[in-house]
Formats: sequence, structure tokens, C-alpha cells
Amino acid sequence: MTDTLFSADLLNTPIGFTASLIIGILFGVVLERAGFGSSRRIAGVFYFTDMAVVKVMFSALITAMLGLIYLNATGLLALDAVYQMPTVWGAQLVGGVIFGAGFVMSGWCPGTSAVGMASGKTDALVFFGGVMLGSIFFNEAFDAIKPLYGWGKQGITFAYDTVGISKNVFAILFSLMAVAVFWISEYLERRKSGTSKNQGARFQKVFGAVVVIVALGIFILPDTTAVSPKPRPPQVSADQQSETRLMAQVDQAADHIEPEELADRMMSGEPDLLVVDVRSPREYASFHLKGAVNVPLEELAAYLAAYKNSGLIVLYSNGMTHPAQARDSLARLGFNNVYFLTDGMTGFSQRCLKPVSLRRAPVSRETAEKVKGWREYFLRQG
Amino acid sequence: MERQPEKLANPYLTGVLLGLVLLSSFTLLGAGLGASGGMARLSAWMEGLIAPGHTLASPYFGRWGQEPLSYYLVFMLAGIFLGACVSALASNRFKLGAEKGASFPTNLRLLYSLIGGVLIGFASRLAAGCTSGQALTGGALLLSGSLVFLLSLFATGYALARLFRRQWND
Repeated sequence: MTDTLFSADLLNTPIGFTASLIIGILFGVVLERAGFGSSRRIAGVFYFTDMAVVKVMFSALITAMLGLIYLNATGLLALDAVYQMPTVWGAQLVGGVIFGAGFVMSGWCPGTSAVGMASGKTDALVFFGGVMLGSIFFNEAFDAIKPLYGWGKQGITFAYDTVGISKNVFAILFSLMAVAVFWISEYLERRKSGTSKNQGARFQKVFGAVVVIVALGIFILPDTTAVSPKPRPPQVSADQQSETRLMAQVDQAADHIEPEELADRMMSGEPDLLVVDVRSPREYASFHLKGAVNVPLEELAAYLAAYKNSGLIVLYSNGMTHPAQARDSLARLGFNNVYFLTDGMTGFSQRCLKPVSLRRAPVSRETAEKVKGWREYFLRQG
Repeated sequence: MERQPEKLANPYLTGVLLGLVLLSSFTLLGAGLGASGGMARLSAWMEGLIAPGHTLASPYFGRWGQEPLSYYLVFMLAGIFLGACVSALASNRFKLGAEKGASFPTNLRLLYSLIGGVLIGFASRLAAGCTSGQALTGGALLLSGSLVFLLSLFATGYALARLFRRQWND
């Protein structure tokens, strides 16, 4: 497996910037060739007069999806070397609704508006100004938006797992759906304008057949799902130094987080906080901290690769032994943003969730209020 | 006589090409395509010019530090613009002006673009990406949230399409 600039931590260095610029140039050329420097053409998708957006988008989706599966199966690209965005159900659903309204209103989206500006379109320039204002507004209103921003946070979740079928079957169904969407698009265009815009029925048949054959091909690929990605070994030369640093962190107690602090930070919907439950799925199912994801210890390094050194990762189990060992192992792999929960779930229950009335020592009114808030947040179902 | 704009490429083959660009982005960068991220970084930079202390202390832009432009998506955005410039000039599709139906007032069309832009700037931050970064990139990775974003985007677009139809009428 080869490293990517992301997995080698070089994305935001001059070499990463140069590579991004080149990829961007190719992206810009392709979008312009597709005719996406025209808001009128883009908006045509909503009135069934020009379905280019759907055709290009789904062709690209299917190509990249199948390409990734082939590259992964042949060992050319490990998926954990690719940055994958966590799912946040509510934020992405609501974001999609607002985005869709803006899209049909303006006829632009961020990428195509850059192409529109390059093509001299003043409506694209005005749109771009709007995007800047909207981003600034988001920043200014962030404190109020935070709950929505973190609403339904899941960690990295795949659609085939959500639906409950295998990845290959999902990919085939997705490809078949795309072929159906292409046929419907052609039909709608023909009905609106009398003629098919770009190609005849013959091209349609050949293209559809190629998509299906390539999609079915993934079944003869070697099965990679059984082989879990190996964590990278730590660098030998840096061993001594990093162990010393690790010990210093343990000594300064810079490796754990107190239950009260974690509870407050989880409740405030902190966007960059990832809480990981490393207990068994059965224990996780019976009770877990709201918003935590369940990852078995042996999959931890692979799962957390995408979160390496960005944001805050907190591990917990019932006690402290396993998370502490896991944290040290992750630190050896170069993670500097992993913490574990002091006293584990047991401590969390005692210190944050135990009703004030059942406690032996009296608590201040302020603490009682906090406990009430925590109980409401963490014990309420759903 | 003026040169006619070139005929547009076959959308399916163009889509395959776009997929290959995305795939090379995954392989080389280890990240997909994105456009709104670069625009948000530009916004943070602009706000930083006007009110540096306030921006650094703000809860969202503040996390990007002193130099929000030192980010790979800013360079990708510059690349999109450059590549599109070259392609638009080469294919003779560069044309100054606002696009709209002939019978629709220009100012109203620009107002629609502005409001649409504000909504999309906001929504892209909320959903952590746009049509490129979430729908296309996340869709190809089969991420649940990205596909939800894709579906709700198009569903809303079609639901509201009638309201904004008039701007394209000739």
C-alpha cells in the first residue's frame, strides 16, 4: 500500500498545495467542458430541459466508486489512507435542504460558480459574494448553530452498513440505479425537446452495458474485507524519544480527561470531539454515552486514522486499563490527540449520573444543577 | 465573423473523466475534490483582514488560526478557476454578462444569485461540504451522510423549482 499526501501528513505543505492546484486545474477543465460555466444549463436539470448535471454527476460517482473498489482490492490504495467525512444525520439533512433551495434559486454551486466566473458570468461573481457572506454568517452565528451542527453525529458510517447489505451488492445496485437514471434523463429530455441532445440510443445501450459489466466485475476481485489494515510500525530512530515523551505525558496526567469535563464538552455539541466506546458491542448496546461510537480495540488504529491529530479523541471502557493501553499504542503511532476517560464508565456514572439524593456526601447547589443537566442529557432515550 | 462556441462534450464521457479526476485526487492527495472549503477559507481570511482579533477568537473560523489560506482546498479552488479560464477561452465560451431568460430583469436575476449564494455558503458549512466535497466525494466513498445530503439537496431543488422557473423564460 502506498501513502497518500493525507496519510503522510503532507496535504497542507507546499507539495500538497502544488498537487491540489494541479488536481484543481483538471477539475476546472472537466467542469467547463461539461458546460457547467452556464447557470442556465445547470438549472435545466430542475426543468427536465437539460439533464447534463445528473448525467455527469452519476457517471462520475459510479466511475470513482468502482475505481476505488478496484484500487482497494488490488492493493493500490488503502481506504484508511483517504480522508472520509463523518456522518452527521441532522446537519447533513438540513444542510442539503438549504443547499437545494440555494441551488435552484441561483443555478450555481460553489465549484461551478468558480467555472462561471472564469467564463465571465456576472451572476456567478455575485453568487460567490453570497457564499462568502453565508460562510461569515455561519461563523458569527456558530454558537447558536452548534446543536444543529452536531445533531445526529455518527462517526464514519457507510451507506451499505446503514442499509445492512454487503458493500459489493450495494455498489451493483447503485450502478444499476445510475443506468436507470440515465435512461430516464434521456426520456425526459426527448419528451421536452423532441430530440435527444447528445447521443443516440446506441451510445446509451453501450454505455449502460459497460457500466453493468464493470460493476459486476467487482465480484471476481479478491476479498479484502477479511484483511484488516495493519497499523504502521513506529519509526525505530524516534523510538527512544517518543517513549520519553509518552512517559512525560503519563507523568503529567496529560493523557486523560475528567468525567465532568467530558460531560460538559459532549453536551455542548463540540464539533471536533470524537468519543469512542471500546467495550463489546453488547455492552455498548445496553448503554453508552450519547454520541459515542463503538469501535473494537483491534480496529481502533484503522478507524481513527481519519481523525489523526485533528480534533479531540476520547476513549472509554468500564475501567481505565484498556483505554490507557490503547491510548499509549496510538501515541506510538503518532497520534497526539487521544485521551481516555478517568475512571471509565464506572467513574462517569458515579460522578456525573448518580442522583444527588443517593450520594453520601452533600453536594453544592451548583453541582446538583449540573448533575441534573447531565442526567437529562445522557439518560434520556433517543 | 465571430467564432462559434464549441459543441459541448458528451456528458457521460465527461462524467467518466470527472470520476477519473476524483479518483486521482483520492490516490494522490488522499482526499476528494472540494470547492466550498476553499471559499470558506477565503471568507475567514477576509474577515480576518477586517477584524483580526474577533476572527481569531470566533468559534468556527478561529480554529483555522492566523493563516486560513494555508490549506489545500484553497489551492484546489485556484486550480478550478485557472483550468476553467483556459478551457473557456480555448472553446470560445467566455462571455461577459449575467445568464438569464431574455424577458427576465437582470437585477432580479442577480438578487436570486446573491441569496442563493448566501444559503449555499451557510449550508456548505453546516453539512461540511458542497456538491463537490460531500455529494460527489462522499457519494463515491458511499458515506451515509453524504448520500443523505445528495438526496435532500435534489429533493428540495425539485420541490422549489416552479418558484424560480420564470428567470429562465425567454
